[in-house]
Amino acid sequence: MKKIISLITAICCMAVFTACQKKTDDTITKPDGKLDKCTLRFSWWGDDERHKATLEAIELWNSIHPEIEIVPEYGGWDGWTEKVSSQMSGGTEPDIMQINYDWLATLSPDGNSFYNLNDLDKQLDLSGFDKEVLSFGEVDGKLNAVTVSVTGRGLFYNSDVYESLGAEFPRTWEELIALGDKFSQKDVYPLDLDIQSGGTAWYLAIVYVQQSTGREFISMDGEFGFTADDIRMALDFYKEMEDHGVIRTIQTRTDEDGNAALYQSPEFIGGNVAGVLEWGSSVGKYEAVLPEGALKTGPFLTTEDGTSSGWMIKPSMLYTISKNTKHPDEAAAFMNFLLNNSECARILGTSRGIPASRYAHESLEQNGLLTGLSYESDSMLNNLDTVTISPYMELPRMKEFYNTAIEQVSYDLCDTKTAADEMYTSVSEYLDRLN
Amino acid sequence: MRKGVNSLKHRQYKNPVGVGKYTGLLLISPFIAGFILFTLYPFVCSFVLGMTDYRSAGEPKFIGLENYKTMLSSENFRKALGVTLKYAAILVPLKLIVSLLTALLLNLEIKGIVFFRTAFYIPSILGANLAVVIMWQYLFTADGLVNQFLELFGASPVSWYGDPDASIYIIILLRLWEFGSTMVIFLAALRDIPRELYDAAKVDGCGFIRSFFSITLPQIKKVIFINLILQTISALQEFNAPYMITGGGPLRSTYTVGMLIYDEMFKYSETGYANAVSWVLFAVIALAVGLMYLVTGRRERDRS
Repeated sequence: MKKIISLITAICCMAVFTACQKKTDDTITKPDGKLDKCTLRFSWWGDDERHKATLEAIELWNSIHPEIEIVPEYGGWDGWTEKVSSQMSGGTEPDIMQINYDWLATLSPDGNSFYNLNDLDKQLDLSGFDKEVLSFGEVDGKLNAVTVSVTGRGLFYNSDVYESLGAEFPRTWEELIALGDKFSQKDVYPLDLDIQSGGTAWYLAIVYVQQSTGREFISMDGEFGFTADDIRMALDFYKEMEDHGVIRTIQTRTDEDGNAALYQSPEFIGGNVAGVLEWGSSVGKYEAVLPEGALKTGPFLTTEDGTSSGWMIKPSMLYTISKNTKHPDEAAAFMNFLLNNSECARILGTSRGIPASRYAHESLEQNGLLTGLSYESDSMLNNLDTVTISPYMELPRMKEFYNTAIEQVSYDLCDTKTAADEMYTSVSEYLDRLN
Repeated sequence: MRKGVNSLKHRQYKNPVGVGKYTGLLLISPFIAGFILFTLYPFVCSFVLGMTDYRSAGEPKFIGLENYKTMLSSENFRKALGVTLKYAAILVPLKLIVSLLTALLLNLEIKGIVFFRTAFYIPSILGANLAVVIMWQYLFTADGLVNQFLELFGASPVSWYGDPDASIYIIILLRLWEFGSTMVIFLAALRDIPRELYDAAKVDGCGFIRSFFSITLPQIKKVIFINLILQTISALQEFNAPYMITGGGPLRSTYTVGMLIYDEMFKYSETGYANAVSWVLFAVIALAVGLMYLVTGRRERDRS
């Protein structure tokens, strides 16, 4: 019996070694230019509004192309990255996927993990996109993904609360800090910043520093632009916001909300926390929990002398096709439908932000659908001198570094200088390892 | 005749059902196949991957014990191991005591006891799911029920979620509340103790406490040990509860090794490192269980 077991173990060992070695040479199905009968899987994350709109769009597709069935796979953002990356490493990912910007750097560092969409131009019409927007989806010269919409984080406030306290939305950083002092007398916070999956705390802090110093946090190709002093400035600013009651301290926030997201928090729904920093493309879930029309877009903060640079934009999400798909033509046709079809665009509305495709954009304009918070925020952002977010900035490991520093500062475990120095070292070492 | 009886005995001993050796193997082969495919193969695979720098993309490179060295110098790992051990050390004894006491209560012959036996088991069915997470939020957030209750007695409210020293206790409480399966095992063991022993003890003038220590405990000794082992293993593997309830925070005070493995594997795509950590966790569990066997085994021998 012992012999049998050791024999089996040995066989397993060999199987592992061989499995590890030949992983990458599976052949890619070549496009043949025809649309065949098939079933395709399409996955996305989002809120209920997006789910509803997308399912309706899929219904429309099924009525036009009954021979190509689309099986939807969808859910909330939390845990979605983990789900897709495990699907990718197991080779069981859906044919068409909505992906996040930083996944290009993690999942397809050499541009070979997704289909090269340039090969699918028979079905996929890219004429509605401008060059810069397309370049967001390129890795090593290969078009891995197409940008659905471009977005940035904007400030949204509960106008009911602001009105009842007789306050205007802040325009400068100084006004924001002053609001904290004013609101804390009523036990209300003008804004919320988190270090959970949103990670808005660090985002706002670096916008502040980028605006003040003109230096970019991390460049598109992974160059670290901040000095340790810049990081310290960002952490100091964060601490200042906590001290003046602009935002809750991390301890207060966790005590009040537990592990729940802000839009599920009684503090936000009840109006004790009256503002949020969120992507234009996903502000819907905050809007939905407040009385209708209560959530309004606020101005992008500037310095006293009106410098408004430093705010950031990025592709909010991209569509990609799995390199393991058996039906590249059909997948590309469906992707084209999602991106460019005017009827589909009307159904999807702004549930994925303001479409980057000119055709979809025109359709929304004609149908009078270019309204709402997402549109207001993104058009305001368009008029600013924005910075494109580096895909390196949003890597999960980097977020861990930001959060460690912010948590330490918030819990007063160390001064901002120590935390800044530590973070500077971790970030630069990590960037070195990646490049 | 005698020979026939002997051979019959012999056969009975070796093969009570009377089927051939290969039939037996054939009958258990579905299990064996499942075991090889879904347990042994991943097990070996994980060890091999633990010695590579595999990052879910690209080619894995063999780096020997490098991952284990990284672990030694990693503060995150040390902290997670500390949290896990602390968690197990507090939870396991508490859970055993609570479930044994409840089992003793539920062993009483009173009317409607079946209802209570079922009711006490319900929390174990719920597990650490979303409904429980929301309930915990109602209970332990700043204005939650528990703090309101504390205020009734004039105690100051506790920062359950936000205080790094308190947060681990809400997770321990969740798992403690789910004592059903340990309790059921204890209950079964208690019901197996012959009543005569208690009757005899009563005649000898034993009180409740004396008979508990002299009869009940020695009789269910083996079951206590089984529960201890099972609970220790599941406590050291804890992932669900902190992941759902606190997300590992604040300040990593509820960040268990299980969560570290998950994050490294799925969040940071450090497949090689995550597998190496899994093996260390495996070793820690094996060590803990081995120690328990050693200690109890020695006591057995001392007694005999």
